[in-house]
Amino acid sequence: MRRFDPRWLIVLLANLLLWWLAGTANHYLSHFSFLWIDYCSIHLYVSGLFVVYPALRLGRKHGWIVIILTGLMTDALEPVPFGTGMILLGAVYATLLYGRRRFPREGPVFGVIVALFANLFLVIALSFLLVGANPRPGEAWFRIFTDLLASQLVIFLITPWFLALQEAALRLARAHFPGDRQLTL
Amino acid sequence: MLPKRFDQARPFLTLGIILALWLFLSLVVKTFTRVTFFEIQAPMVVADSYVQDLQTFWSNRLHSKDELLKAGRQIAGLIADYDFGVQQNKNLRAEILRLENLLNLPPLPTFRFEPARVARRDFSGWWQRMVIRKGKNYGITVGSPVVFAGGVVGRVTEVYQYTAVVDLITSPTFRLAASVAGDSRPLSYQGGLNDSFLSPRGTVEFVPLDIFATKALPRHLVTSGLGGVFPPGIAVGEITNLEPSSDGLFKTGEVALDERLGSLTEVTVLVPLNPEEF
Repeated sequence: MRRFDPRWLIVLLANLLLWWLAGTANHYLSHFSFLWIDYCSIHLYVSGLFVVYPALRLGRKHGWIVIILTGLMTDALEPVPFGTGMILLGAVYATLLYGRRRFPREGPVFGVIVALFANLFLVIALSFLLVGANPRPGEAWFRIFTDLLASQLVIFLITPWFLALQEAALRLARAHFPGDRQLTL
Repeated sequence: MLPKRFDQARPFLTLGIILALWLFLSLVVKTFTRVTFFEIQAPMVVADSYVQDLQTFWSNRLHSKDELLKAGRQIAGLIADYDFGVQQNKNLRAEILRLENLLNLPPLPTFRFEPARVARRDFSGWWQRMVIRKGKNYGITVGSPVVFAGGVVGRVTEVYQYTAVVDLITSPTFRLAASVAGDSRPLSYQGGLNDSFLSPRGTVEFVPLDIFATKALPRHLVTSGLGGVFPPGIAVGEITNLEPSSDGLFKTGEVALDERLGSLTEVTVLVPLNPEEF
């Protein structure tokens, strides 16, 4: 009998956990005071992190499932045409798959770099799609730039933790097959 | 075996197939999938707000009896004030009804007030919205106005079984027919000026040339009740500056919005009693 392989499910659940944590953080960052500034509002966007593990350490089939489902999950909560996030994440994932033979995929440093660039691409792509609705796009870009800086800083700090979490979750579920990674390239 | 060049391009081919399948997928299936995926995540979205409620409950239980007595006295004073307000409200309603009958006017739209807790705020440069903890289970409908003590909060854009999504007045996608308090001429309001370190602002267009506003002498902006679901006279914000528009026929300007919009925990949804009136 064929055994159920839960790797995609574990990585997807980890992505959802991060999505929930980012949403909760955004809830509290919608209005806060900081030092002498009475009104601050920051929005963290961390979708770039969703592609790192599937692209660098998971097989193609599992990776695509994770990316499609994560994209649809995020799209369901955002006021964008349904499927936008899925296609954007898919584009980043496909690009990373294309070059991953040449990437140093072990260790968190390269993961951090990939997450930062992926997030940068996603924010810029989403901004070009949405910023047209704003009455003053120039001011909107300033806000997006501030949010992007904060998001990149958070990604820089949490990527090693998040990759380790996914590794640990796979190990706990006994779904980690180190040899399998090379076979699925 | 596939040629090496083709094999390398396989990720993009897969992406192309997914994109094509997605484009040709029926709208019904997409809508169903979206609703399903939202409902799957809804418990996660509201969970932390329930935890917050529990935290507040237990922290309130730690208050001493003296503090509770003091708070009780303050509330008794407020109740007396509100009782007087309710009485005045009744008289004014009776007066409105009398005038409507006298002048043969159509009745004003009526609403049911549905208070709801805010489960999740999501404020970015792209959108400004919040999820509330009431949905179809409380008869919330799409398009219902949402208000709070400071005025307009926004409009319900999506309704699910136990939750609803509100597009905020600060959102770039939010438009509204408004008027300057004491002036019946309508003008157009749009949200969308959301700096990271400044209070939220909106813009007004088609303001008549004889209306003036400055930071020192702002003008109060209220809903006009025209062409929308909002009843007239609800506060929107303060017009803080006006300048002639490029065509010279009207003025455009900025509206300072209530800072409390960014930290709301409770709102009221105005559910229309006769939706066909709108």
